[in-house]
Amino acid sequence: MEPVAQQIPLEHFLALSAILFSLGVYGVLTRRNAVLILMSVELMLNAASINMVAFAAYASPEKFTGMIFAVFIITIAAAEVGLALAIILRIFRNLGTANVDEVDELKW
Amino acid sequence: MNMTDAWLLPLLPAAAFVALTLLGPWLPRKGDWLAVGAIATVFVMVLLIAADFTDALAAHGEEFAGAANSTQWLEVPGQLELRLGVHVDATTIVMLTVVSFVALMVQVYSLGYMKGDSRYGWYYAVISLFVASMLALVLADNFLLLYFAWELVGVCSYLLIGHYNHLRSAAEAAKKAFITTRLGDVGLLIAIILLWRATGTFNIQEVIAAAEAGEVGREVLTASVVLLFLGAMGKSAQFPFHVWLPDAMEGPTPVSALIHAATMVVAGVYLVTRTLPLFQLVHGGPELILAVGLLTTFMSATMGLVMTDIKKVIAYSTINSLGLMFVALGVGAPAAAMLYLFTHAFFKALLFLGAGSVIHATERQDVSSLGGLWSKMPITCVTFAVGALSMAGLPILAGFWAKDEILVALLDNKAAFALAMATVPLTAMYMARVLILTFFGDPKEPESHEHAHEGSPFIFVPLVLLAVLTVFAGFVAFDQVGELMGFPGGIGEIIFLGHPHAFHFDWNVAIGSSALVLAGLAAGWFAWAARPSVPGVCLSMLRPVHALFANKYYLDDIYQAAIDRVVLSIARLVAWFDRNAVNDTGIDGGGYTAKFAGYLMKFQQTGKMPNYALGMVIGVVALTLVAFTLKG
Amino acid sequence: MTVAQVIFYVVAALAVAGGLGVVLAKHAVYAALFLIVALIAVAGVYILLASEFLALVQILIYAGAVTVLLLFALMLTRTSDLPEAMTGAQWPVAGLVAALLGGAIIATVTTSDWPGDEDGMITRVPFDDLGSALFQQWAVPFEIASLVLFVALVGAIVLAREDEPEEEGE
Repeated sequence: MEPVAQQIPLEHFLALSAILFSLGVYGVLTRRNAVLILMSVELMLNAASINMVAFAAYASPEKFTGMIFAVFIITIAAAEVGLALAIILRIFRNLGTANVDEVDELKW
Repeated sequence: MNMTDAWLLPLLPAAAFVALTLLGPWLPRKGDWLAVGAIATVFVMVLLIAADFTDALAAHGEEFAGAANSTQWLEVPGQLELRLGVHVDATTIVMLTVVSFVALMVQVYSLGYMKGDSRYGWYYAVISLFVASMLALVLADNFLLLYFAWELVGVCSYLLIGHYNHLRSAAEAAKKAFITTRLGDVGLLIAIILLWRATGTFNIQEVIAAAEAGEVGREVLTASVVLLFLGAMGKSAQFPFHVWLPDAMEGPTPVSALIHAATMVVAGVYLVTRTLPLFQLVHGGPELILAVGLLTTFMSATMGLVMTDIKKVIAYSTINSLGLMFVALGVGAPAAAMLYLFTHAFFKALLFLGAGSVIHATERQDVSSLGGLWSKMPITCVTFAVGALSMAGLPILAGFWAKDEILVALLDNKAAFALAMATVPLTAMYMARVLILTFFGDPKEPESHEHAHEGSPFIFVPLVLLAVLTVFAGFVAFDQVGELMGFPGGIGEIIFLGHPHAFHFDWNVAIGSSALVLAGLAAGWFAWAARPSVPGVCLSMLRPVHALFANKYYLDDIYQAAIDRVVLSIARLVAWFDRNAVNDTGIDGGGYTAKFAGYLMKFQQTGKMPNYALGMVIGVVALTLVAFTLKG
Repeated sequence: MTVAQVIFYVVAALAVAGGLGVVLAKHAVYAALFLIVALIAVAGVYILLASEFLALVQILIYAGAVTVLLLFALMLTRTSDLPEAMTGAQWPVAGLVAALLGGAIIATVTTSDWPGDEDGMITRVPFDDLGSALFQQWAVPFEIASLVLFVALVGAIVLAREDEPEEEGE
């Protein structure tokens, strides 16, 4: 476990994560296709993972909790994608569309 | 039984009330034995307490000011401490004796009188509650407890006046009594609050001590005393609040005897007696009491003269007596007032119970349909006559001693003395009238006369007991009798420790008043027995005066007009305000506003997920920005 | 500028570009391809953070399996009226909000003090240590994660399955 000089400040990783996260948010809010919304969510999850791993590498390398977290995030993301796609398929089959603007059953 | 155990007294009848209310219908005889048993026990306990009091008096002598026992009720630290407790002094003992004995007599009497009544159990329950409240009122060492008990007896009075609730007149009378006394009660409450603000205590003795030490401002003290007296006037049916008492005769007759003759109506007298030092501190305070008392006495005597309902005549005689008690208080003779109160309780209860016996036997209570009952109901006749003559003030009967004591106290005030003396023959005359028209002469309704008969022992035994007391109770005024009973120094000494007030007897006054009484009786006999045509002649000559008396000085009409004009217009205004401003604008308006807001806001529920997500993110961003700003 | 720095900025630029493509692309399949670019770039970031294992997992699971799954979903939910407008009407507000959020996070990040070395010293984590930590210290969460995967699998099958004909008949 020898230290390596990367000479990249931690803030740069965090800023990258913030940018990716914001892009994901924008995608979730604007995309009309449910599958594309899901992709945006993946973007947000990756941003969070970068955060975790960066903190792990810079702040507490001897515990690597952050990396373990990233592993779990990837795992859960896989499960989530599978489940979400099943739901999207179901909606598509019932309502004939994957366009979230047309799925407005929650109305008054 | 120590004096400090006196707090137990009200609890017994209160327990009887609870038991009768909850279990009444399932108890044998509807639980009347519970109520009677409770009051009998209370009477025995009162005797034991009186004995303990006498011992303490003998041990401590003059400076013994009574015993007190109180417990903390609630506390706001540093601001307010409320204590509940009892205070037993000589006045209390006298009142306790009167209340418990008359209550016992009336409850026994009711066993016969109220038999078969459809609300028999409820009657006994309320009577028990009344006794409990009355005992609490008498024992209270502070104004707050006194006020609670004061209102409770008012409620019981209301309930019992309205006992025959199928009669509209009874319901109306109950309402009238409640509302009229309430006018005075508000004054009492304000007075209590004023005194508390000025002295920081509710305890009666402490308030008096503080006032005597000059801690209460003159204006505040004057206002409190006037308001306090207002309460006493309402409860004791003094002019101009007296109108409720005659109407209260709609209640069962034993109730009239207990509540509206012997106990509740003298609560006002008792209150003024307890707080008399406050009145004497105020310039014009005693004069106010004296004026009200005299006016009431005289007016009620004139009205009693023309009433035809046997109970109403007695009711006016009660107002007459209450006025006399206030007269005594007004001239600073509380001992005379208490002596009158003591004897009055017996003979007035006797009169009412006698009248009840007549009503029970004939089912008539208008003297114009009675008459000649002496042969049918000798016991009632004799006992009633004893009561009536005592009320009139015939020598050696209880009423005579008490009345003379008051007249003697009035000697220094010529005008008041004259007016009081003037009512003496009037009183004698109307008592003679009611006695003659009821029991002598020819029966006016032979049919009801035929069926009249003496009631059960429950009815006539209390009558006889009360009649015996009516003959002898006055003798306690004599020092020798007082000593025999263990009260050295006579009744005045007992009632007012620290204010020695021996019984005064003045031969001149006694002979003068006795002569007037005899004149009044003779006039009554002449007018209604010997020359039955006389009243008719007088009536034709004095028609306007008769109308004035018979219509009760038109006070009821004036009040009714005032209510119609003023109160009802205010009520209409309030009703309009309630309907339009409160209901339509306030309540409905609030509802419509909420409904409309909901209609407007439902459009934010688009049902589209991205909109909701956007709202969520906006919230997150806002919170982040807030956190960022706070962080600096 | 060191090699590592150059690599980082290139990889970061690729990741951002991929992200932009995901949220802006006019065609859904292009968006999916841009997503692959972004995910691979993130794998590069992991390597720079001395986490080769994570980088491998990222490429295998995300760039590979997940993206293929997403493409399948796009294909299965295709409707005849595609290509339609890909972006909703609330994009101006959404853009503003997203920009504010990103700005706020970046501002917070740059004004905060973080632990660790100023000049970017990081510690390389050997595979062995990560593996033993995952299966010893984190064994229970690992098992729970496997349970979650299982439930998700079953749930996805139940949800996506065609209704039974008899049930439809009723």
